[in-house]
Parts: sequence; structure tokens; C-alpha cells
Amino acid sequence: MNLRLSTGPHFVSRESTQTLMLDVIIALIPTTAAGIYLFGTKAAWVLAAAVIAAVACEYIFQKLAKRPVRVTDLSAVVTGLLVGLNMPAEVPLWLPAIGSAIAILLVKELFGGIGHNFLNPALLARGILLASWPARMSVYFMPVRLLGNTSAIPAGVDAVSSATPLIRPGGYEIYDLLLGNIPGTIGEVCKIAILIGFLYMLFVGTIKWHIPVLFVGTVALITWITGGDVLKAVLSGGLLFGAVFMATDYVTNPMLFTGQVIFAIGCGVIVAVVRMTKAYPEGVTFAILLMNILTPLIDRMTSRKVYGTVKQHA
Amino acid sequence: MKFSFKGGIHPLKEQHEGKIPSREQAIKEFVAEKVLIPMDMHIGAPSEPCVKKGDKVLLGQVIATPVGKFGIPVHASVSGEVTGVVSFQQLGKKPSMCVEITSDGRDEWVELNPLGEVEAAPRERIIQQVKDAGICGLGGACFPTHIKMSPADNQKVDIVILNGAECETFLTADYRLMLEEPEHIVDGLRAIMRAMNVQKGIIAIEDNKKEAIRSMEQAVQGREGIRVVTLKTKYPQGGEKQLIESVTKRQVPSGGLPGDIGVAVFNVGTAAAIADAVIYGKPLVSRITTVTGCVRAPSNLRLRIGTSFQDAIDAAGGFSEEPGKVFAGGSMTGIAIPDTGVSVIKANNGIVVLNQKDAIKKPETSCIRCGRCIDACPIKLSPQRLNVLVDQADLSGAKKQHVMDCIVCGSCSYVCPAKIELCAKFKEAKEKITARRI
Repeated sequence: MNLRLSTGPHFVSRESTQTLMLDVIIALIPTTAAGIYLFGTKAAWVLAAAVIAAVACEYIFQKLAKRPVRVTDLSAVVTGLLVGLNMPAEVPLWLPAIGSAIAILLVKELFGGIGHNFLNPALLARGILLASWPARMSVYFMPVRLLGNTSAIPAGVDAVSSATPLIRPGGYEIYDLLLGNIPGTIGEVCKIAILIGFLYMLFVGTIKWHIPVLFVGTVALITWITGGDVLKAVLSGGLLFGAVFMATDYVTNPMLFTGQVIFAIGCGVIVAVVRMTKAYPEGVTFAILLMNILTPLIDRMTSRKVYGTVKQHA
Repeated sequence: MKFSFKGGIHPLKEQHEGKIPSREQAIKEFVAEKVLIPMDMHIGAPSEPCVKKGDKVLLGQVIATPVGKFGIPVHASVSGEVTGVVSFQQLGKKPSMCVEITSDGRDEWVELNPLGEVEAAPRERIIQQVKDAGICGLGGACFPTHIKMSPADNQKVDIVILNGAECETFLTADYRLMLEEPEHIVDGLRAIMRAMNVQKGIIAIEDNKKEAIRSMEQAVQGREGIRVVTLKTKYPQGGEKQLIESVTKRQVPSGGLPGDIGVAVFNVGTAAAIADAVIYGKPLVSRITTVTGCVRAPSNLRLRIGTSFQDAIDAAGGFSEEPGKVFAGGSMTGIAIPDTGVSVIKANNGIVVLNQKDAIKKPETSCIRCGRCIDACPIKLSPQRLNVLVDQADLSGAKKQHVMDCIVCGSCSYVCPAKIELCAKFKEAKEKITARRI
């Protein structure tokens, strides 16, 4: 009889990195579907290029670096999808491919692979693309098809270079903002789809409520205090998408509850300030990236009271 | 109202914690033909054998005398002949001195020294009786019970809690005991309360054991100062520190003992053993062990101390599949055994057999900082942070981050999606810190 020896626990939960990533992908399905519906097959090609490039880059790098090949953990699929969803549909297909290559190679693998990157790969990729090809990355077109019974006008007619309705307050109805009948990136426009994904992730326990809610809540609060239109501030640009899918990235936000609260509020403050000063059309990307950078510091500065001890100061 | 603590997990929830196969099985007595009784079943110095090969012994006869302050005697668990005093590799780091007794099948008791009614017994006599009966914590801790019943002068214990949580997976031994011998448990609690001069006794049971709650509630009726409380079903609800937090809202100070905050906790099985010792004068010669998993007839067996795992498994119908792993205890903290020749000891509440497939370890991947370990830790450590420190061999850093407060419950390892063996690493770190006096 050959008995295996090991310390407990002898059974562990069925959850794995792969199942967690799969849940994020499932949560992104409504957003992806809405994006493809609104922006047409062009959007599908952008997303496909981003995902394929991400998976291919990860596979090739891990092969060349003689590391275990971990593409089956699906994290590259998530990254690729996020890169694609963060782009306008009207970009040449090499752009999402470069974005994914930056995300996977530069941000993730060079820092040691999954779990070791200190910035959100998809977000930094977006940041770099925004800085490198500003014209291509920030010209947003109206969707080619619209959702619901709307008076908005579809397609190409209405190209604006900005975080969509931010520059033309009152230009869109709440109804259109919710359904996605506005110019924007593939993933950010349909808020209903994002909220469905959020609820799914809450329901299966992928993420907790506090980062997205506090992030968006902070923006709403500051907008309200400064006399802005709260609902439109919340439903504009990439705020909701960023708060639900980017700020919640496990790897790049703090570990403890207090740290996560600081992180979320910090993100919200930066977005609100950037939007108010109008220094930059959309603050979400750089707000989250900045707070990513502060995450190790926040982790270092926060602690919680261990059972049976007096509160320690880390 | 359900009592609980913060943190924790619900392991094997969909499989009802693995308890279904054995929970309806009434306790069955099993007498092995041969027992191999280790001398080091309790925390403290091993007892000194006082019998030699060829000696005839009676059931309950002292075969080893206590050594040191924490020492307790060991008793023959069958009547018969001593067929060896040998060194045998049990579950410890080093081989244990063991006494082998071959049963004569007569189960002839040694002369017993009962105290009779609990209320009639003098306080000191109760504690002495518990020591003489060789009782140590039956819930798994192996701590000598008479020491627990004699708190230091500066400790004023005002609550005794009986631990009937049985939060570990697979185990149903305490559950069956609470169903079948509730009065016995209450008698033991009364003896403890009398010996420790405590007026308040609480029997704490998880809410997934409704029948046990009902059974114990009936048994405590009319007993002043004793009540049953319902705990939320959660692991490690039966961990001493968590149980105390759940029931009393007090926390045992870091590095301290329950006595420091006026609480003493005993397992329900220990209480029953105390009742046996005090009322009937019977030493601890058997215990109830759940034998389950890949065995043909999962059972709750009353096994003689020193019964081999193989005999216990055979008494439960034998292996139903090619075994891949066998462990003593539940799946969270159970200790895997190298060989089925090892003995059932006083703290051995379960024997679980896994098949080949379930014995395979899942491959470890990188930490993705998901924070599940942080939510799971019932001590509120940061396992993720500790893991980084332990990986960097920064043991003094780990100590500063309270690794010594880790209760090694396994919750963090259970929830980790990257399958990192956090708990095993912390256990090793704790041992190193103690050994190197960091």
C-alpha cells in the first residue's frame, strides 16, 4: 500500500485561478455582446485581435523563457478582452495586437508573470496607446446600431474626440447613456451590460462590492458637492467599466479592506479632479494606474487587529 | 440566536462536510485482538512503562506511570498479556515507546475506585481522579485535562464551555456521543464545574446538528447554570479561540491561555471520559472514532486505545477502493499516516480514507492576491503577506506579523485558488521560530 503523506487540508476548494478568470470572462459577456451589437463586426475583430495577441504573446514568452506555460489559466484571455474593450471600434487591427503585447509582455511577464505585475496590464497598455496614438485611441464614433427606442442618431455622423458626453452635457438622454447609444470604446458604452457583469461577479463572489461602489460613489459625491450632474457623471466615459472591471483587479489593488477603501476613494477623487480641471478628457485610466502605483505603499501602511492582540501600527 | 466569530470558511459545503455516510450510524463497540499503546499520547513527557513482556494485565490496569508535571498514566485497554514493549514509528517525528497487549478476550476490569455522585465528591479528589484516569483532551489537543482543571492562582475561571461544535469535516463521533449519551456528557460537565468551582456551564453545538442540540437540551433540563448554545456552522468554530470568541465575545490574549480570560474549554468526549472516571472510577481505555471515506461501512466505533488503524478500517468493512491517503482526524487538520499499522490514540477522533484520485495534490500556481486567505483567517492574520515573508526566509519578519498566533486551521490553504500550501508553510515557520528561538 502506497499512502500519500501531506499536511492538511486534504481537500481544498474547487476554485482556482482558472475558475476565477472564467467568472470574469462570463461577467464580460454582456459587455462584449453589447459592444459587438452596437459597433458591429469591426468591434468583434478588434476584440478577437486583442485576445489572440494576448494569448499568443503569453504562450510564446513562457515557451522562450522556459517557464511553465500557463495560458490555460485564462488570465491572458481576460487581459486581451479588456485591452480590446478599452478601444474604439474604429482602430486598425494592429493597434489592439500591440496593446495586448504591451500588456502581456511589458507589464505582466517581464515583472514575473501572473500575480507579480504592479500595474493593471490592460490599463497600462491603454495608457501607452493613448500617449502613442492619441488620435486613433480617442476618436470615438457613434455605434452603428442602437439599443432600444431612441432618438439618438447612429453611426459615423457624430465623431467626437473626448470622453463622450462629458464635453456636451445634456447632449444625451440617461436612457441612451444606460443602453450605450453614445460614442465611446467598445466596452464602456453599455452601462446596463457592465452592471449585469458586476452583479454576476458579486453573486458568484469573484469580487466584493466596496471598490466599485466607493470609487463611483466618490465621483458622484464630489460631483454633487460641486454642483454637477451626478447621474451623467456616473454614466459617462469609462468610469463604470473601470470601477467594475479594472479597479477590482486582485493583483493591483490593496489586500486589506481598509486599504481597498483608501484605493477606491483615491481613484474616485483623482477622476473627479481630472474631470473638473478638464486637463484631460478622461481620468479613469490614469486614476486607477496611479492608485496601482500607491498600492504597495497602502498595503504597507494598513494592518488589521490580529485576534488577541492590541491594534498594531505597521 | 446563533453565536459566531469573524472569518472562517465552510469546507466541503456541497458534500455536507463529508458527514453524511457516518452520521446516522450508531456507536458500535469494537475490541481489537491486539493493541499497541503509545506512551506519548498527551502533551508533556512520555509516560514510563511499568510492565514487561509476559506480564498479565487487566483492563484498566496502569501500564505506564506519569513523568513530570504534565504527566498522566497509561492504562491497559484490553485484558490479556503484554507481548512486547517496543519502539514503533507512530505519527510523531521520532518513534514512540509502545506497550503491546494481546487480548484474552475476557475484558476483565481491574478493581475500580468510583467516587459515585458528582456532588458528593470532594473537589481535589475529582481532579486527582481525572489525572489517574489518564485523561487528556479528546478533541485532538492531547492536553492533560487535570492541568486544564487546575488553573493558575491568578486565573479566575467563571465559564466552562463544552465543545460540541465538531466543525471538522467527516467527523461524527461527538455528534453520536451527544445523541446517545447526553446525560453522560452533562455529568462530566458537572464534575468539571464542581472541581473548578464554576457556576456557569455552556454546551456549544453547531446549528447543522439539530438532533444533538435537542438531545443535549433535554439532558440539561433542571441542571442549574448549564445551558446549550447554538453556533453558526462554520469552520473552525470548534477551534478553542474561535469557540471562546463566539460564545463569550472575549479573545484569548496573544500567547496567553483561555484561563487568562476566565474560560476553560473541554471537548464533549473529554467530559464523558471525566464522568466515567469520576462516577465509575473507569480510566480512559477507549474512545469514539469516526471511520469513514472509502471504507465499505462508514461507522462510529468505540475503539480501544492502541487499536491499529488497519483493524479499525477492517471493522468498518475494509477499504472500498484502492486507498491513496489515510489521515487521522478530519480533512482540514488531519494528519496523514504513512502506514495503517499506527495506533489509535486518545485524541484520535477520526480515520478517513481517500481514494487514489482524491489523494492527488493540485498543482501550485502563483498568488494572484485575491484576498480569500485574508477573509478566511479566523485569527485575522494576513496569510498572503506571511507567505511572502516565509518565502523570503524572513522568519523574524513573519514573527512580527504574528505567525506565532496562527492556529494552523488550514482555512487559508483551503480557499487559495492558487493551491498554495499556506498553512503547511506557516506550521513549518512556527516550528523553526520555536527551534531557533527567533
